Amino acid sequence: MGLLYGLIAVGLALIFGLMDVVNFAHGEFLMLAMYVTFFLFTFFAIDPLLSAPLAAAALFVLGAAVYLVIVRFAMRAKANVGMVQIFATFGLAIVMRGLAQLFFTADYRSVPNSWLGGKTVSVAGIYLPQPQLFGALVAIAAFGGLYLFINRTDFGRALEATREDPGAVALVGIDKNRVFALGWGLGGALVGLAGAIMATFFYIYPDVGASFALIAYVTVALGGFGSVFGAFAGGIVVGLVEATTALILPPSLKSVGIYAVYLLVVFIRPRGLFGSM
Amino acid sequence: MLSVHEVTTAYQGLVAISAVSIEVAKGEIVCVAGANGAGKSTLLKSIAGAERPRSGTVTFDGNRIDGKPQHIITAGGIAYVPENRRLFPRLSVRDNLRLGSYLYRGTPDREQPLELVFKLFPRLSERLEQRAETLSGGEQQMLAIGRALMTRPRLLMLDEPSQGIMPKLVDEIFQAVKRIRDAGMTVLIVEQRMSECLEIADRAYILQTGRVLMQGSASEMMTNPDVRKAYLGL
Repeated sequence: MGLLYGLIAVGLALIFGLMDVVNFAHGEFLMLAMYVTFFLFTFFAIDPLLSAPLAAAALFVLGAAVYLVIVRFAMRAKANVGMVQIFATFGLAIVMRGLAQLFFTADYRSVPNSWLGGKTVSVAGIYLPQPQLFGALVAIAAFGGLYLFINRTDFGRALEATREDPGAVALVGIDKNRVFALGWGLGGALVGLAGAIMATFFYIYPDVGASFALIAYVTVALGGFGSVFGAFAGGIVVGLVEATTALILPPSLKSVGIYAVYLLVVFIRPRGLFGSM
Repeated sequence: MLSVHEVTTAYQGLVAISAVSIEVAKGEIVCVAGANGAGKSTLLKSIAGAERPRSGTVTFDGNRIDGKPQHIITAGGIAYVPENRRLFPRLSVRDNLRLGSYLYRGTPDREQPLELVFKLFPRLSERLEQRAETLSGGEQQMLAIGRALMTRPRLLMLDEPSQGIMPKLVDEIFQAVKRIRDAGMTVLIVEQRMSECLEIADRAYILQTGRVLMQGSASEMMTNPDVRKAYLGL
């Protein structure tokens, strides 16, 4: 579960690191990815395992479009740019939730009988649920892919350069808007992957993103804002803390541990575990 | 090659340059001098597309470029090294140079200008793995010029290349500018240190409070008594 939290958080950290914008609609991106998976399964009988790349692609397009149509203009605000950005993405979150309620209804949906759903695998006598295990593998693969993309490709280097100084990339002929759109697309694609996997073991409803988004913010803050690696590590920490809390406290209180650890880290090391700011 | 015609640029209503016209011919080194706040940097920004002129036109090789986005102007053959250099501080020297050739990604001779860059600034080749922020001021200026050369410009624009650099390196950089011109490029320099600049320049303009005060060949400027008194401190 921690790796999935990490996967959700990485998208957030990527966008924040790139342009200091917090995407408050990140949870709604996740919600939409889950619905995409649900509809592909229900209408076309495409198993989430296969539709995960489709969900990622759909969310890539959504992410890039959100930047080009909304955030790009929010960033042009003459005063109080930070506030304008917060309200723009927060407003988007509310709109997306409302539209989901309107079109998808508030019913709880699920993807029953998927290839992995409900199955477990026994590793040395410990039963592990297959969807979560598969999710962990996908998350690791996605991190690996992202790492290679950022460190080995020209576009990745352009991403790093834009993160360093968005005002300077035009000096070498890079269009910062394209890089930002790509960053939002990538952030969307990562949360799209996470959503596709989570659809196999979690109920799908319009508000589903909220609780996960909250954990994602904690994860990003824990790992250090803007640090993609930190978000990954933060996700693992959050997952472990949650699992441990569930052992000690009643399951309904399992989130308490996460926030307790978060408070502790914020008090002791405000920049997060791996933050450089 | 470059023709700036009656360009006026303002920041939040404050006019920084007013109806400035300059010409730069192919193969020239042109120096724009003037005191702080005379509008020198604004002039370069208006050409590079970092600022949008309020009125007037900028023509480069026969094409209007005023109002075009900055990255398009860079791709069109004008490299601009701003005053504060704007390197990517936490990236290595190598990555900074490589980003300079971003426009030529996927082409086999992508790093072709690198040979010239290393010939001009051999120190850069010794510091390839170092982060740009760890370089001295002079080395950072060299890297900024090197990165600009990687975009294969026809016109190179430098904003105060001597700023914050020890005197010995200033000379090295001005000599490099000469060699860049000899390699076939045209150079437009903005400088407060007029005497060094005039030594390598073909022609010069003097800006004062946003207007062109004087223009002429470098040798004319150097012998003009008013210029000598006001700008060269002689």
